[in-house]
Formats: sequence, structure tokens, C-alpha cells
Amino acid sequence: MSGESLVPNNEELFELLVESSIDFAIFSTDPNGLVTSWNVGAERLFGYAEDQMLGRSADVIFTAEDRAAAAPQKERSDASIHGRAADDRWHQRKDGSRFWASGLMMPLRSRGAGFVKITRDRTEQHQAGERLRENEERFRLLATSIPQLVFLTRPDGDRTWPSPQWIEFTGLGFDSSLGLGWLEAVHPDDREATQKAWREARLKGEYYIEHRVRRAANGEYLWHQTRAKPLEGESAAGSDWVGTMTDIDDLRGLQSRQHVLMAELQHRTRNLLSVVQSIANQTIRSTGSLEAFGTQFGSRLRALGRVQSLLARVEDQVIDLHSLVTAELAAHSEDDIASSKIKVGGPAVALPPTAAQALGLALHELATNAVKYGALAQPTGKLEVTWELKAEKPTPEIVLEWRESGVSMPASGSLKRKGYGSELIERALPYQLRAKTQLEFGPDGVRCAILVPVPTESFHGSA
Amino acid sequence: MAQPESLKGCCLLVVEDEYLIAADLTASLESLGVEVIGPAASVDEALSLVDKNSDRLDGAVLDINLGNERVYPVADVLTARGVPFVFTTGYDAVAVPTAYAAAPRCEKPVDKTQLVRWLSNTGSRKSVCSGRLS
Repeated sequence: MSGESLVPNNEELFELLVESSIDFAIFSTDPNGLVTSWNVGAERLFGYAEDQMLGRSADVIFTAEDRAAAAPQKERSDASIHGRAADDRWHQRKDGSRFWASGLMMPLRSRGAGFVKITRDRTEQHQAGERLRENEERFRLLATSIPQLVFLTRPDGDRTWPSPQWIEFTGLGFDSSLGLGWLEAVHPDDREATQKAWREARLKGEYYIEHRVRRAANGEYLWHQTRAKPLEGESAAGSDWVGTMTDIDDLRGLQSRQHVLMAELQHRTRNLLSVVQSIANQTIRSTGSLEAFGTQFGSRLRALGRVQSLLARVEDQVIDLHSLVTAELAAHSEDDIASSKIKVGGPAVALPPTAAQALGLALHELATNAVKYGALAQPTGKLEVTWELKAEKPTPEIVLEWRESGVSMPASGSLKRKGYGSELIERALPYQLRAKTQLEFGPDGVRCAILVPVPTESFHGSA
Repeated sequence: MAQPESLKGCCLLVVEDEYLIAADLTASLESLGVEVIGPAASVDEALSLVDKNSDRLDGAVLDINLGNERVYPVADVLTARGVPFVFTTGYDAVAVPTAYAAAPRCEKPVDKTQLVRWLSNTGSRKSVCSGRLS
């Protein structure tokens, strides 16, 4: 009983503690690093049994690179000098595999007695940290190399990080862009909507707006599409959102051009319908029976259709005069167009749409008359349609001549002076195109001269 | 009030660059006893006609799109002189500048009955056409 205590003494307690710490490798060495004790945790962690290690250098747990760099010696020296040495590095097991160890080496209290080292496997934590760092680096790399302006923000629009592109584009400094400072670069008229969208963003779980952002280089505002979303794993109300601003100025430009084109198309379509309505009314006034109306109206509508289909085929909405003349003649007299009966010729001239339509309808009336009573109705008849350009005048002019010959003119019934055709030639062309026209009923056929002023850009080959 | 006869004796300016439409509209109005000033195919022609006939104009029919130009300068002068007018247009309302959005507008192709109704109403507001009826 004497001297014996029921509680374990410190030494025994220490031994129990060391032996039971299977998750911690705990071992001691002499001053030169030769192992003097090796617990179960060390066996498990490093793969060496106690009897394999006792008396052996503990340096085998270091990687070859660290051994070559004298890391074990440095660790012991640091521990001697500072009383401790942190040990966070890759270590190596008996089987050669590596793990990330995090531990501490301390000198034993009695100087010169050696060291004790406690360490454990922190590979998973280390790798998670590495992955996070890599992800962050990848994000920075992406955020700083894509053309979009990137930012990190609080869910209320308070900016916490602007990308270098943002700084370069807006000329606002890093610090001036933080908080709501970035609003300075947004067009004053768009600021309210920009902030309103942020107030709604938290509820929607995402931010979206199109607004104008000033480019520092020339002070102009360019349309941008700005989006932001909570970072993965964060709730909408969570701390960090990431956003991008994409230049959509060209797109907006195209959209507004499209609106203009649509309006123009509307206008043309409705105008064309009005023209059809007018042709119908005028044809009604000049024809006696419904049958005659049907024939004439149909024929005029087809002439209008031919001009429209010529217009649809060309991209810049100008029609070559030659195509217009031949399309009209071919519609009336497919065979004659290729024969010596008809001669068509003149330089290349591009007609604007309105001129093409008016001229097309006038040519239609001339051709209809020629097929019914004139050059194309009689075997001896000939037709010449020629034109030239008079470019020397202040406003260049096209002078077109329609000349029928070899026709024995009927006493009556042909293109009448008060007819629809002569109205188009003598009144519509001067009214609409400021043209000068002359229509004659010569002894051997109809002659018509049409002089149309055209804008200079209508000539092929010139600017 | 909406009777076409109420336009009889009125003096109306017609501005329309497309001859066929202008001729048809002129013929329709003349058949109702309207004295047509024009038709004019451009802003310049129209302004000069307004100038010459300023004291007898009861109203105007204005096509908005005159080829390369818009008819709005003519509308401004007519407004300044208190002459009522009606736009004819192939455009949707959205394409008309807001300053003119309130002006009566006949969409093409024009319904002549509707056009005459508009003209009668604007004319009678001024008691011009109806005054000439007696």
C-alpha cells in the first residue's frame, strides 16, 4: 500500500495518451534524427512498424527532394533555435505514396536529448484549399481575359471588385468603382432603371438590364447588357454575386435599323395598294363592261407585278433600265424580243424604285398599244427602244426613245390622246419624275420620247 | 355633317407624290364639288401653293412620305395659319413623330368615305365649308 497511488503517474498517462493517439503520428528522435520512439499513429501514417524505425533516421519520411534540400536538418535546427518548427509539407510513406502532413517539431526539454514530432494527414484539407485557390485563379484569369466587363458585387449592387477591363473601358479607378461608384459610368438617363433593377434582383435571383456605359477613350456611351447572378452555392441574398457587362451597341444599332426598314416596307406596301386602288378606279372610268375592265385591270396589275419582282431581286433597290424594258416587251411579245422586229439598246442605267414603277407602267401602255394596233401587230412593223445618258447637264438625264416604224396607222382606236396610256406618259411622268415627254402619232407608227432627270448616283460605275 | 355634300364648294390642297393616287383622289374630290388646289408632289410645290391660296384654303390632304422628303414643313405652315388637314400615310402610328401624332390620319389605301368624313368634320369645326354651302 505504501507509496503506491491509485491514479496513474504522469509518465504512465503520457504513454497511454501517445499510444492511443492513432490519428496522430508521434515520434521522438535523438539530436541527429535517429528514432527513439514510434507510436501506433506513426505506424499507421507512415507505414513503418516501430521495430523497423527504432535506431533508424526519421528522415525517410521526407520526400527525396526535401532530403536533397536538407529540409530535415533545417527543421531540427529551427526547432532548436526557436523552440518549435512548423512542418507543413508533402511527406512520403513506406510504399512511396505521398500525403500532405501538417505538424510540429519541438526539442525535448532536456537539452541535447533530441526532438519530438507530432503530425497528421491533412491531404484532403490541403487539396480543398488548393482547389479553391485554383478556382479563384481561374476565375481571375477568365474575368480578366474575356472581352466582357466583369465584376463582383453584393446582392444590392454594391460592387466589391471591378475587372481591369472595366477600369480600362470606363476610366474609373478600382477604388472609385467600388460601392455604387460605378454608377458614374452609366448614362445619367439610365441610372434610375439600373438601380431599380438591382432592387428587384434579389427577389428574382438574377440581375438583368440594358443600359448605356461611357467609354473613357472617346466619351461616347455604348449600349451594354449587364447580367449578374449569385455565385454557385450562395443563396440569392448571400454575400457574393458575379456579373458581366457585354457590349451590345452594334446589335442595338441593327435592331433600330430593322425598325426603320419595317416602317419603310409598311409604307411601300400600303402605297402600292393605293396605286392598285387608283389603277382600278381609273380603269373603271375608262372601260364600259366588267369584262373589259377585268382584262385591262389584270394586264396593268401584271405590269406592276413585273416591276415589283425586279425590285425584289436586287439588293440595293435599283433597277437596270435594260431589264425593265426587256421584261415589259417580253411579257407582251416573247418571240419578237429575240427577232429583228425589236431592237433594244442603251448604256447601263440604274433607276430608283419610284422611277422604275412609273416608267414600267408607261412602257406597259406603249407595249399594249403596239401589240394591239402598232409595230407588234403588223408583219412589216418594227420597234426600236433606245436610250442614252446626258451626263453633262447639272442634273443628268436619261433620254429614252420609243420608235415604231413600218406601221400603217389605223384611222382610230389606237393610243388615244385622252387614253390612260397617254395620261401616264404626258401627265404622270412629268408629275412624278419631273420628266419631259413627247408622244406623237407619226404616219408610220407611234413615237415617244421620255426625258427623265436622275440623281448622279444612279449611274453604274460612278460613286 | 358626315354627308359628302358638305364638302361642296370647299377649297382643298392635295399633296401626294404618287401621280396615280393624286389623280384618283383629285377626281374623287372634284366629283364631290371640291375645288382642288394642286395636287403637289413636293414640299416646295405645296408651300408655294399654300402661299398663293392662303386666304381660300379650307383644308388639306397631306401624304406624309414624299419620296425623299416628309410633308411636315407643310403641316407646320398650315397649323400656323389655322388650316385643318388630314394626313394620308402608309406608316403605322408609331412611325409618326409625336408632334404630329394627334393630327387625324387616314391609312393607305385610303377609304374615301372616311377621308371625306374627316374633312367634313374638321371643315365644319371651322365653319368654313358649311358657311359656303348656303
